[in-house]
Amino acid sequence: MSMPLTTLWVLPLVGAVVCGALGRYGRRPAKLAALSFSLAYAGVVAMIMLLSQSNVAFATINETGPQWAYGISYRLFADSLALGLIGLTAFLNLICVIASWDQEVSAGYWACFLVLASALTGVFLARDLFFFYVFWEATLIPMFFIIGLWGSSGRRHAAVKFFLFTFAGSVFMLLAILALVSAHHGATGVWTWDLSQLDAKALGAAARWVFWGLVLGFAVKIPMVPLHTWLPDAHTEAPAAGSVMLAGVMLKMGVYGLLRVALPLFPELSWGALPILGGLAAFSTIYGALCAMAQTDLKRMIAYSSIAHLGFCLLGVLSRTSQGLTGGALQLVNHGLTTGALFLMVGFLYERAHKRGLGDFGGLAERAPYLAFFFGFSTLASIGLPGLNGFVGEFMSLSGVLAALPILAFAGVLGVTLAAAYALPAFQAVFWAPEGAGSVSAQVTDLDRRERAILWTLCGLMLWIGVAPKPWLAWFEPAVRGLVR
Amino acid sequence: MIPPEILRPIQVLFGAPVAAILFGFFVMRRYKPEWTHVPILASCAAITGASAMIAAYVYAGRGFDQPVMYWAVVGDWGVSFGLRIDGPCAAVLAMVAFVGSLIHVYAAGYMKGDPGFSRFFLVFHLFFLAMIGLLTANDYVQMYLFWELVGLASYLLVGFWYHKESARKAALKAFLTNRVGDFGFLIAVLVMIFAFKTTRLQLVYLHIAAGRTQLASIVALGLVWAAFAKSAQWPLYFWLPDAMEGPTPTSALMHAATMVTAGVYLLVRSWPVIDAIAGLPHFIAWTGALTSLGAAVIAGTKKDLKRILAYSTVSHLGLMMLALGLGQVGIAVFHLVVHGFFKAALFLCAGNIAHGLHQPTANVDDVGGLSKHMRLTHASFLVAALSLAGVYPLAGFFSKDAILDAAWHHGGPLALIGMLIAAGSAFYIFRMFFLTFHGERQEQSPTAHPHEAEPLLGVPVAFLAIGAAVAGFFGPNLVRMLSSGWTMVPPGSPVMPGEIALPHTNLIVAGLGTAMAALGAGAAYYLTMVDTGWDWRWRGGFVESVFESDFGWKIVVARLVCAVVSFGNFVGRILDKKWWDGLIEGVPGAARSAGDVVARATQGRLNDYLWWTAAGTALLLGRVLR
Repeated sequence: MSMPLTTLWVLPLVGAVVCGALGRYGRRPAKLAALSFSLAYAGVVAMIMLLSQSNVAFATINETGPQWAYGISYRLFADSLALGLIGLTAFLNLICVIASWDQEVSAGYWACFLVLASALTGVFLARDLFFFYVFWEATLIPMFFIIGLWGSSGRRHAAVKFFLFTFAGSVFMLLAILALVSAHHGATGVWTWDLSQLDAKALGAAARWVFWGLVLGFAVKIPMVPLHTWLPDAHTEAPAAGSVMLAGVMLKMGVYGLLRVALPLFPELSWGALPILGGLAAFSTIYGALCAMAQTDLKRMIAYSSIAHLGFCLLGVLSRTSQGLTGGALQLVNHGLTTGALFLMVGFLYERAHKRGLGDFGGLAERAPYLAFFFGFSTLASIGLPGLNGFVGEFMSLSGVLAALPILAFAGVLGVTLAAAYALPAFQAVFWAPEGAGSVSAQVTDLDRRERAILWTLCGLMLWIGVAPKPWLAWFEPAVRGLVR
Repeated sequence: MIPPEILRPIQVLFGAPVAAILFGFFVMRRYKPEWTHVPILASCAAITGASAMIAAYVYAGRGFDQPVMYWAVVGDWGVSFGLRIDGPCAAVLAMVAFVGSLIHVYAAGYMKGDPGFSRFFLVFHLFFLAMIGLLTANDYVQMYLFWELVGLASYLLVGFWYHKESARKAALKAFLTNRVGDFGFLIAVLVMIFAFKTTRLQLVYLHIAAGRTQLASIVALGLVWAAFAKSAQWPLYFWLPDAMEGPTPTSALMHAATMVTAGVYLLVRSWPVIDAIAGLPHFIAWTGALTSLGAAVIAGTKKDLKRILAYSTVSHLGLMMLALGLGQVGIAVFHLVVHGFFKAALFLCAGNIAHGLHQPTANVDDVGGLSKHMRLTHASFLVAALSLAGVYPLAGFFSKDAILDAAWHHGGPLALIGMLIAAGSAFYIFRMFFLTFHGERQEQSPTAHPHEAEPLLGVPVAFLAIGAAVAGFFGPNLVRMLSSGWTMVPPGSPVMPGEIALPHTNLIVAGLGTAMAALGAGAAYYLTMVDTGWDWRWRGGFVESVFESDFGWKIVVARLVCAVVSFGNFVGRILDKKWWDGLIEGVPGAARSAGDVVARATQGRLNDYLWWTAAGTALLLGRVLR
């Protein structure tokens, strides 16, 4: 492994090709190939993560490759933030493959997930903004197919909306990148797309526009209210595993972009934008919670809760304090685990009963006690019960933003308070309330061994992070240290 | 380092419940659910022993405050968890362990045969563990963690019989109301960590003592708000009466003896902070006094036995708040401990009655003249009721007298309110006593033949009644204990709450208090035994609706909740979905029409949009790169 980072994004891509090639021999070979490549991919990621922990030389990894015209060059870079998010990608990808094991899907389904993992890995690794953008857009394609081909009834509309909305956002990002690169060339005479060499000083007065262009692109992805309306539709129509990847990793690209591109390049501008961006983030936490309260579809409700949770991440990140940045970064992982678990369980329900409305069930606490336990556990993690993971990220983010702009922390605490007001009634309606007329609870069997194993893992991690977040914070802290104001 | 002489009891205190819960969850629940209580009862015995040892340790004048682990550390920001064993902790812990263990035993009999038996015991014991954690915490974040965990246990147990709609609603109400209170706690902790760079109790005391009180008023207000929710004070008290939907052992342990007193305990712990804010203690005293009086009046009008006791709990928590607000921290803790005994005993008696009638709850219409059938329950109830009413020489007399005395010394309306509360308490508890145990009225129609409870249910009640009778004699010892274990605080520091001694018995106050109790009890006797139909005569009119709505406050709360829900619906369904998303969804349509007009080229297909976007991008690109 002389090129460990290249291996990271190429390996799942190879897996995708193999899956596609095996597709003609029926469903099982492709599925097995997907599993083995996902395992191998997760294994390699874990190895590199361990290596980076134990060996100082690997704390940050750089990889350079050929260079082309206009200074476009193949440069990869991994620090603990990138590796952490790649770890999350690999872990959730594996979970998704195992969770979809019994689904009657063609080889393309598995290939799409592997392509998605590959593209996401590329986004987290790229140091060259050209490749960053290419990988960024490449994530759209597999997700477009996952939603559009394997989603539920309104999938076409949702897939197109998802694609256009996020694509429109990234156009602004592209323009900002181009302006940045050409301005740098104009000032220094050197063409480069390398993040570590680009300097925003060359932009002069245009810096403001470039900054907001980047932020617009990232904000659509996060998504920040009011740019969020693609998310509920995409989540609702996507298959369960698609929702897991979408919420678990894809939304994190936006925050990652802020951390990796916007904040380091524009430290002063981003600080000046705190009242607006932070205000929108704090507004997202409340607005997401209020919207979630009004939903009657479980998936839509969780989708809106995602908007609220990402608002906390943003608050922490934008505060530019060590606790806020680290807590925000950890919250990315937390949200992936918690929301991932919730989406998976709604998927399990949907597989069994083909319904996901709050009023379609009832009495599941008796019919499916394991499901009730795990769903309740994840719900509690999601509403930020101390002792579980969600609290750590929210608390640290809020503590950070309190030091930066106190009023935002108060708004955020209001968001924390409201979270229980949608999550617990939903839990009660599905699991505690008696089965009403038209209830499909009778079709719901309890989780089987495979599904339980997935959820034990996820819930175990939620508990671990909640009780002892120290090692997790220590993992992320070095990567964000430089951003502390 | 935890001092080695006390290390073993500390280990047992946490190890036993954790082991019992894990064993119960993974082994007993699976293979022998009806035996889940066995490891848990063993754990209760171990906890009781350990907390007795800790109490003895602290009584001997020792104590410690020791960080155990770093919870979260980033740069110069950090939160560590640890143990603080001092007077208030050891005193309350001893009561919680003893009363709690007795209620565990009771629950083993009471819940027998319930399909959720093992679930009940696991959550019940989880609560016990969380309560121990809350009491021994040395850091506010740690306290908040256990504070929420007891809230979760409360939610799960209030909603234990979740097939009932009322139970589901009550559980939600309990959790959400406490969540509203936690808003204050979270803000307090966040501000604390911002202002003091620490959330450790000890260090916060020192910061306050050093005069760094700029942001302390936000901290103090937040904590008081949280305590008002947990300890059921106006304006956030309303969840507690509804929480009686839970099984009776839950009501006795959590919603009377221990969990609801966590708010008082939090304020005791935070007293140095609160005391530093001018006017805040006074505010607490007034809120406590008025809540107490209002709840005492309402308790005298309720029919459901457990609801009478629930309002009584609100009233007594108000008394503790009154004591706190008057600066009598030691007395507040004393009343907390004594109240734990007599209120638990009363609740378990109510449970025995319901159990004897084979009903989940009982109200005064269902029972009457039980003294013949349930002698032990009758005797225990009488002792606990006398204690509650503050009759010499039972425990309640000493603690209540101390509070009345403090109010008397404060003078003014608070002294008068204190006396009225004394009369009201005696009235509602003896009204309940006579209606339930003496004389069957024609309005009362027992549906089943009541019988005395089995020993597993009777013996814990008797023990608690004995506690309710004699605990008062240990008041001076308790106050001595409260002031020990503060070795880490510089001597003479104003933050030592334990230095307040019990006031000397003031014969005027004692006499007046006893007279008020006699007056209340006499009125209760007259209106239940002489004029037997009174309780049924006044109902049905405007007066009852005033009491039913808690003087209108329940209506206000219902309006508020309704407003929040409809606002959420408006935002989610209309603002977000219809208006904003509708507008965005309209963009492709508008683009299509515009395209039709301009070029007649677009068909509204994805392809076209992509081309348009690409063309636009290229155009802009060209401009930028030029």
